[in-house]
Amino acid sequence: MTALSVSILLYIAGALASLALNKAENTAIKLSGILGALGGVAGLFASVPTLLNGTTVVKQIYSPFYFADFMIRLDPLAAFMVMVISVLVVAASIYSISYMEEYKGKGAWAMGFFMNTFIASMVALVVSDNAFYFIVFFEMMSLASYFLVIAEQDKKAVDAGLQYFLIAHAGSVLILIAFYMMYRATGSMNFASFETLRDTAHALPVWESSVIFLLAFFGFGAKAGMIALHGWLPKAHPAAPSNGSALMSGVMVKIGVFGIIKVGIVFLGAQVLWWGFVVLAFGCVSSVLGVLYALAEHDIKRLLAYHTVENVGIILMGVGVGMIGMTTGHPVIAALGLLGGLYHLLNHAVFKGLLFLGAGSIIFRTHTKDMEKMGGLAKVMPYTALAFLIGTMAISALPPLNGFVSEWFIYQSLLSLSHGSSMAVQVGGPVAIIMLAITGALACMCFVKVFGVSFCGAPRTENAANAKEVPAPMVMGAWILAILCVVLGLGSPWIAPVISSVATSVISMDTVNVVQGAALIPADGTRAILSTPIIIIALSALILVPVLLVSVFRGPALKRRTKRDLPWACGYGYEGRMTVSAGGFTQALRSMFAPLYTLRKILDPAPAMNAVLTATTNAARKTEPVFDDYIIMPVSRLIIRLADKIKVMQHGDFRIYCLYMVIALLVLLFVPVEFGGM
Amino acid sequence: MQGLEMPTASMVTLAIVQALLMLALAPLATGFSRVIRAKMHSRRGPGVLQDYRDIFKLLRRQEISPINSGTIFTVTPYILIVTMLLVGMALPAVTNESPFPIAGDIITDIYLFAIFRFFFSLSGLDSGSMFAGIGASRELTLGVLVEPILMLSIVIMALIAGTTDLGFISKHMATETWSAPMATLMAGAACAFAVFIEMGKLPFDSAEAEQELQEGPVTEYAGAGLALMKIGLGLKQLVVAQLFLALFIPFGKAADFTLPHVLMGFVVLFIKLFIVFLIAGLVENSVARTRFLKTHHLTWSGFGVAVLGFAFYLTGL
Amino acid sequence: MESIALFTLVVPFIGALLAVLVPKQCKWTAQLFSLLATLGTLALAYSFFSAGAQSTHFNLLSVGQIELFGFTVDKVSTLIAVAVVSLGFLVSFYSLGYMSPANREHAQTGDPRYYAFLLVFIGAMAGMVLSSTVLGQLLFFEITGACSWSLIGYYQKESSFKAGLKALIVTHIASLGLFVAAAFLFKATGTFSIEALAQLDDTTKTIVLCGVLMAAWGKSAQLPMHVWLPDAMNAPTPVSAYLHAASMVKVGVYIFARALMSAGNVPEIVGMVGVAGAIITMIYGFIMYLPQKDMKRLLAYSTIAQLAYMFLALSIGALGSRLALDSGVTYLFNHAFAKSLFFLVAGSLSYTAGTRMLPQLQGIVKGSPLLAVGFCVAALAITGVPPFNIFFSKFSLMQAGFAMSDQYPWLTPVLVIALIESVASFGWIMYWFGKTVLGEPSEPVATAQPLPASMKFVLVVLIIMSLFSSAIAAGWLA
Repeated sequence: MTALSVSILLYIAGALASLALNKAENTAIKLSGILGALGGVAGLFASVPTLLNGTTVVKQIYSPFYFADFMIRLDPLAAFMVMVISVLVVAASIYSISYMEEYKGKGAWAMGFFMNTFIASMVALVVSDNAFYFIVFFEMMSLASYFLVIAEQDKKAVDAGLQYFLIAHAGSVLILIAFYMMYRATGSMNFASFETLRDTAHALPVWESSVIFLLAFFGFGAKAGMIALHGWLPKAHPAAPSNGSALMSGVMVKIGVFGIIKVGIVFLGAQVLWWGFVVLAFGCVSSVLGVLYALAEHDIKRLLAYHTVENVGIILMGVGVGMIGMTTGHPVIAALGLLGGLYHLLNHAVFKGLLFLGAGSIIFRTHTKDMEKMGGLAKVMPYTALAFLIGTMAISALPPLNGFVSEWFIYQSLLSLSHGSSMAVQVGGPVAIIMLAITGALACMCFVKVFGVSFCGAPRTENAANAKEVPAPMVMGAWILAILCVVLGLGSPWIAPVISSVATSVISMDTVNVVQGAALIPADGTRAILSTPIIIIALSALILVPVLLVSVFRGPALKRRTKRDLPWACGYGYEGRMTVSAGGFTQALRSMFAPLYTLRKILDPAPAMNAVLTATTNAARKTEPVFDDYIIMPVSRLIIRLADKIKVMQHGDFRIYCLYMVIALLVLLFVPVEFGGM
Repeated sequence: MQGLEMPTASMVTLAIVQALLMLALAPLATGFSRVIRAKMHSRRGPGVLQDYRDIFKLLRRQEISPINSGTIFTVTPYILIVTMLLVGMALPAVTNESPFPIAGDIITDIYLFAIFRFFFSLSGLDSGSMFAGIGASRELTLGVLVEPILMLSIVIMALIAGTTDLGFISKHMATETWSAPMATLMAGAACAFAVFIEMGKLPFDSAEAEQELQEGPVTEYAGAGLALMKIGLGLKQLVVAQLFLALFIPFGKAADFTLPHVLMGFVVLFIKLFIVFLIAGLVENSVARTRFLKTHHLTWSGFGVAVLGFAFYLTGL
Repeated sequence: MESIALFTLVVPFIGALLAVLVPKQCKWTAQLFSLLATLGTLALAYSFFSAGAQSTHFNLLSVGQIELFGFTVDKVSTLIAVAVVSLGFLVSFYSLGYMSPANREHAQTGDPRYYAFLLVFIGAMAGMVLSSTVLGQLLFFEITGACSWSLIGYYQKESSFKAGLKALIVTHIASLGLFVAAAFLFKATGTFSIEALAQLDDTTKTIVLCGVLMAAWGKSAQLPMHVWLPDAMNAPTPVSAYLHAASMVKVGVYIFARALMSAGNVPEIVGMVGVAGAIITMIYGFIMYLPQKDMKRLLAYSTIAQLAYMFLALSIGALGSRLALDSGVTYLFNHAFAKSLFFLVAGSLSYTAGTRMLPQLQGIVKGSPLLAVGFCVAALAITGVPPFNIFFSKFSLMQAGFAMSDQYPWLTPVLVIALIESVASFGWIMYWFGKTVLGEPSEPVATAQPLPASMKFVLVVLIIMSLFSSAIAAGWLA
């Protein structure tokens, strides 16, 4: 617990240092980055022991508000989230030490402040055990990231920020209503009391718990950026500085998933079957549509943002299976699904962070986000290119990297749904598998395009040709994550059990066995096996075969001739513009899937909402003077007319006034005497 | 069903042997296809060993890389061969069970094919050639269209057998009575269709359409690189055909690891592959290439067959 | 304690007199006497807490058994007294800088009548808050109405006169409710003391409380007696900030809160009527945001909506929730600071850029960072975003409401509507924040002149209070 406090204090120190040093921007940038990284390391020290030994620590801190206790709870799920946050924070903070130079003179000191506040509020959020403080930190997280999104201050960034903050705030209001309903049922705002709703003895009626679940699902889903509530993601994540985008895509959207797990599983115990299906369905649709829309982009950061929608969908698929498993009473399916979801949560944070940092490096040097203006960067930025390649291979789920391992677990969990009882469950599994398979193939295509168009081939513009490798901290930040991608993939036999123990603690069951020696198994031993270390050893050994083949049969061939010959262009003079562009690469696929693309135009609520707003404004403008025109003015005119009538009594002759006084006196004397009688 | 474990030394030896054998036989398979094409075109053809002659000639030539290409271009041929060899090691080609189950999980195999596709297309982009670029785009698009069919048909088999391990599915199909024959047949038809596309045969050879695209991503390769690419593509055809055979026509393989049974298994394998390539050759030379932008009509029909198979499985047929 | 309270009440009136008699030094007289009054309320609070925080009652003037005027010193009155009087001082200090010829929009120095009426107003507020009788409340109610009339018409233009008269008449009609309440209370119990409310039977209690509610609605600009507040924006901005955001409009809320606190068991109908009125006003207030282009009118409607929240809180408290009553009082406290900040930012924009029309303002962050921070903090505070103050009151209000909704299921849709309104006004205000504060400076902002030190000081104090006032209030009332 002390390491956790140290970590949060370091983030706050970084924020305040950045604020205080606003005139000395160089120092502010470096200090904010270093303190952030140290905070991340402290966070790792805080979370890893809890993950490894599975204990829960609960503590109460002084709260100035008597209606809410400040409870802190570090259980395996919270520790897992803290670990994910800390890992990415270390990489992003080290990266920011050089990257923020881009924003010098444009408020880099303010960004350091908001970045560190953002991170601190996220860490505080996941360990809060009281609904009030949860919401406070949730809103502060949205507030801090809002300022990161509007960093550029141009019209697009401001619009993106407004849409983002509005949807986040509306989402938090939905969550708030869900929390209030649970408070009304249990009498306390503490999460510990919400958890009593899980026992069937204290369970709420189905309609009420379903309302709570749906409110929380859509509220947290808006934060997670799942489909239908994802509109803000492709606008907001590109607008923020790249280390901010990495944190937002890598960690902040996971807070949404964390919330869904907390409310759906930990508080309400996944008691109703269709909840799990809703989560699974939204997950499937998010993943396919997310990657499909990503394919249509040629702004690299917008593309990565859509991929976040896709991967959140995949995580939600795992969580959905977990919930279905819990409801149907198959704890092994539940554990497997949740394991896949949580593992993918971690993996996505790592490889998406890596991709955003890589994109940031490209933008740092080429000053453009448009992929069609890049090209040939692998030769001038080799380290960044190799790290980015590892990232693209990880996100395309190529074995033996980490993306593949978590998707393997999700596949196995979806297959295990066939043991389920009802027809819906049996159909649901393979449908989801197909959608996951399509997603994988589309992601593969998209990232070949990204890497190929940006890093391979010839440079398309001057800026791309003159780019150089980025400064060491940026390379280091990206490589930390690249190495982690490899480690999380190859080391999966040692990492999966830890995550599995987190999953089983969430579901409140005994541990399941997912490892056999140096291989992964889907928890009941007979059905499948995967060993990433062995695969990589086999692949490395097999490389000898073609190498031997070539060297033995090579003969007296000359050395490879490079750097001289242009590609064949059917006899015409070859020009750089002849190569396939980002848009052209995906054009065939986009025409084949055209209905899904027009879907988003049809379902866009913005024009309807604009129309309603304009109509209401006009109505309000007409209504405003109504009170004046129809109530006050007529009354005042009436009074003036009455006064005019009475005016005749004012002759100006003082003798008439004396007469008035006499009459009044007489009346006042006679009336009480005649009618008083007392 | 016994559990899956790390393979023994003899199993690993068998796996390596079968993989190397496939490597050695890949040019034979592609040569055989060339001969069938020639015969159907009323020509004599170059003989089944022509591809060996081509490959050895190419290995002795100088390699050339286009001016803007990078490491990806150079490294891709090796990666293609390595991934296909790994799948080859895991296939239950001659034995009922997979000799290398670590890589024998269906999901792993499909994603190893994804590595193949990833690097094949990326090298196309890296070469800077426009033909290679369009070929890469088509290769990936076809991959997207084929993936659901392949995945669904394999999932039906995995559900029937209760496991995703290739060897166990194969053994289940070979030794047990078929619990859902209609479903298996439909899945088989769909899988055959998907495998046909993956083999890159007409009408679906859009990626290396020789007349249109100068062999697509393979355009700019020369010398040893081109030789390895040819071997790699041939090896993929072999491996993918064997995947289909292992799942749907697994009869006649060795039930245990004794030498005579394994040799018998090899013979049976040869015969099965001969028939498969014969049929594939006959089909491919009877049709023309599809218009690429209309390919998805065909693939969605194939997917429809797979869905029908799944419906049959659900109803217990 | 009694003498401190009396001191706090009397000092501003003396100051007002001095301001008129010694016109040359009226500015400095105002600062001195408002500061003395503030210190007085702080001293009162200190002595209250050190005497054990017990509610105390002092009789000032009575005729036989009938209590006419008195003081009530308890947690709520000390808290609100500190708020309204200290804000009076801050506004006077701000006026030092604002009421000067350098003001780009309204260039003129502050006349003695300005400072005199301001001081009278401060005194009247102190008296109102500390008063223990309905009669006392009524007296100060009318005094504040008169000050408001004068100050709204300060610029002596045609529109200012009309607005001042409208305000006076509407609030005076509203005060009829308080007259009725006082009459019924006296007839039933023979005294004007508010504590006597608890002794009434249900029907009389309902009539008295409804009378108080009517007066409250009029003074606090709730539908349908809200018409005077938007036009009251003709007043100089420090006056708008003080009277029409921080204190006078809070009078209504305060008298209703006082009545509820002293009334013991409140009949359900009062709560229901209060809730209904509050929610209708809230919705109307929000819809009226949409056509506004003048920042002060937008803030006026925002005040109307925020006051509706306070009435909602108090009405839920009337149904029986102590948390709701507390949240209403803390909301009052928090809103005073946040809304004053917003109005004074608007005033600063008038001063420096010469306009307060929202479409003409852009890029404030580059023109004047302090004003940008002030605008941002005020916007976030008003819309209820933590860690700023109003969120904490809103949260506890909703919490209390949901707890009550077990007994009164019709409360749930009301609370949901209130939350929707909260999100909608958040969206609207942040939209204007994005348009006015960010981006490239427009012409009025680019040619802005620097802010005087007194205005800067007040803005900084208010920004700090917008962060911490919720903790202060929560601790005070606990």
